[in-house]
Amino acid sequence: MAQAVPTQQRPPLWRDVRVLRLVAQVAFVAVVAIVLRELFLNADFNLSRRGRDLSFDFLRTRAGFGIKEHIISYTSNQSLLRAFLVAATNSMFVAGVGIVLTTVLGIFIGIARLSTNWLVRKMAQAYVEVFRNTPLLVQVIFWYSGVILTIPRIQDSVSLFGVVFVSNRGAALPGIEGGADFSVWLLFALAGIVAAAVVRRYRTRVHDETGRPHYRFLFGTGAFFLVAVTAYLLLGDPFAIQAPEQGVRNYIGGTQISPEFVGIIIALVLYTAAFIGEIVRGSILAVSKGQKEAAEALGLRPGQQLRLVVLPQAMRIAIPPINNQYLNLWKNTSLGFAIFFPELINVTGTIVTQGGAELQVFSMVVLTYLGISLLISLVMNIVNRAVALRGAKL
Amino acid sequence: MSDPRVGSGLQEDVGIPRFDDRERAVEVAPAKEPTTPAEWAHANLFSSWANGIVTIVAASALGFFIYQLVKFVFVGAEWAVVEANLKGFAVGPFPLDETWRVWVSAYLVAVLGGLSAGASRNRITWTKTKTATGSLLAVAGAVIVVLLVDTLLVLALGFGLAATAGLMLVAGRALRERLRRPLIVAWLLSFPLVMVIVVGFGGVSPRLWGGFFFNIVAATFGIFVSFPIGILLALGRRSSLPALRTFSVVFIEIFRGVPLVAWLIFSKFVVGLLLPPQMSEPPDIIKAFIVMTFFSAAYVAEIVRGGLQGVHEGQYEAARALGLSTTRMMAFVVLPQALRSTIPAMISHFISLYKDTALFVAIQVTDLLEAARRSAVGLEFFGRIKETLLFAGLLFWIVAFSMSRWSQRLEVRLGVGER
Repeated sequence: MAQAVPTQQRPPLWRDVRVLRLVAQVAFVAVVAIVLRELFLNADFNLSRRGRDLSFDFLRTRAGFGIKEHIISYTSNQSLLRAFLVAATNSMFVAGVGIVLTTVLGIFIGIARLSTNWLVRKMAQAYVEVFRNTPLLVQVIFWYSGVILTIPRIQDSVSLFGVVFVSNRGAALPGIEGGADFSVWLLFALAGIVAAAVVRRYRTRVHDETGRPHYRFLFGTGAFFLVAVTAYLLLGDPFAIQAPEQGVRNYIGGTQISPEFVGIIIALVLYTAAFIGEIVRGSILAVSKGQKEAAEALGLRPGQQLRLVVLPQAMRIAIPPINNQYLNLWKNTSLGFAIFFPELINVTGTIVTQGGAELQVFSMVVLTYLGISLLISLVMNIVNRAVALRGAKL
Repeated sequence: MSDPRVGSGLQEDVGIPRFDDRERAVEVAPAKEPTTPAEWAHANLFSSWANGIVTIVAASALGFFIYQLVKFVFVGAEWAVVEANLKGFAVGPFPLDETWRVWVSAYLVAVLGGLSAGASRNRITWTKTKTATGSLLAVAGAVIVVLLVDTLLVLALGFGLAATAGLMLVAGRALRERLRRPLIVAWLLSFPLVMVIVVGFGGVSPRLWGGFFFNIVAATFGIFVSFPIGILLALGRRSSLPALRTFSVVFIEIFRGVPLVAWLIFSKFVVGLLLPPQMSEPPDIIKAFIVMTFFSAAYVAEIVRGGLQGVHEGQYEAARALGLSTTRMMAFVVLPQALRSTIPAMISHFISLYKDTALFVAIQVTDLLEAARRSAVGLEFFGRIKETLLFAGLLFWIVAFSMSRWSQRLEVRLGVGER
């Protein structure tokens, strides 16, 4: 006890952990910096040898190429930046539509995997095994070149009551032709949705307090239609529904969907749904059996057991892995390039082959993909927080 | 057990077990399993009205689909397009005179694969149904091969391959335990050896690789090379040094956040720019391989990180208590445990990398998918893309599906999440 340990004496520098850690990090940072600097110098030299630079001025030059599909307006006279934005919005649109459809199909597949019906169970299993174990690109090209392009030509379009047309030129659905007051009516429609929500809430309270049947779906939709139809009549036909007509080479009017869009959507949705189905199945199995038995004991019907008791708890487990699938779907929209759907990769490929500026365009592509991925994760985190157990730690 | 009431069902007793002083009925007969087909169908297909309707709808949909498929396969399809382009499907633009290199590699893999399957502790128990399906599939496969292959030499080599694998399976079964360690070493050496066989001694440069051969080699290469980089990145991400951690996180997230197609396409333009000017420009496929390796390493890193997180804190403490340095602790205590638990995840990463090799069409590699697409372009077989894509898809599917099954069984045997 009396013998004092010489704590004051510090070890020599080369054995002092704090110094070693610092030295190691400084050395690492230095190496990374040197490598990056070398790469930058190489790029700079190689570019100047080819008479190019690293500026982003090229974005302001005229694009000069057409893009078949665009959500935001575009002509070939607009800038390259505009073309890039068109491509980015196209990609995002595919991802948005794809995520909604694949979630619905995926949940359906997941439930079907656990059906008491042997045939349904086996069919769902076969579906999952087939779609999960084949490259997505094979599926994209199969749906586009093998199926969509081989269905009837436009002259022999398959039509449904003369309003919906399907052929290898894509599909045409009735579209909405908005008049001058259309945006005003849209505001009223929004008000209708709010009204429906309020009425629904009110009916739920009546039901909770008095025990009378709530009919909240009926009341809610009634409220919406009351507002929407009244507004429609007051504004005097703010919009008309226009059916497409079959032309010689394409459809005229209505909402038209291109074969490329259909191809990439079908492939993405079917492929991702196989993965989401497996996640949903695993999550349902992870909900403790007692929950289902308790629901059964309360006299809920099988559909209600699933909808009210099992699925809400399964979703809690499923959301993080489903988020990963959404991110994959977002990145997989890039496979549209193979069937010439004008998404990010396809359009930026054109930009690069036309005007160079590979490094700049590539950095924009990287940032766009990372940015949207981050956005999806953020939204899913909010959803996750909303459904997570409160107060209790899982 | 001697009491005839026990085990014969409880019909007579209406579910109330009688208690005797001498012998207590502790065993209750399980609900009788449905045995006759009618009973089975009632329980599994027509248990209620709604269920019956669902069955009928599903059965008609399935029937329609199978009818269309069978009609296409046996009537509508013209399989000559596959027959004529078989070499393209297998090896793409690989020179015909050099294909012996691929055959030698294939035989090497068949020997190793057969031995491993034979020596495996993870063997399939052959039930009656499994034997029946297995032999049916083998016969169907043989018939398809005979129908599609018109060169006698290729046919002989193909069946020789299957026979070698079978023979080695028997040999592996006999040798068992003694083989385990040498086999692991042999597998590790096999990839470099295959590379030497294919490229070395005036061999074939990667520019001429193609077909299914390309898909398999590219995926194996990706895993093989990205594995050590991935481990380093994972260790970096969990390091206590902020500089290392930041670097690893940024590297991993950037490579994971951008689709592989984008990496491949831009590798063509960008990698050349970053190399020193005095270096000659490498071929596109090499640039693509470099980028794919980093891409795969980012995914491997995340898998390994999961494995590292699963290693118990006590293991670190024990290693420290033994006086091991950080390097030794990682190499001898932590990593062996972490990597073992990541095997199933690694296999599924390998499967997805293997599926992703189809993306090399973006840089004009004639892989299996591109070969399928090109076969249907020529005048002779114009528009026969459904046939070629179905065939290519089937090949892709067989390998991916068998690997995923294997991984599932491995997962059970390793007891992932139980230890």
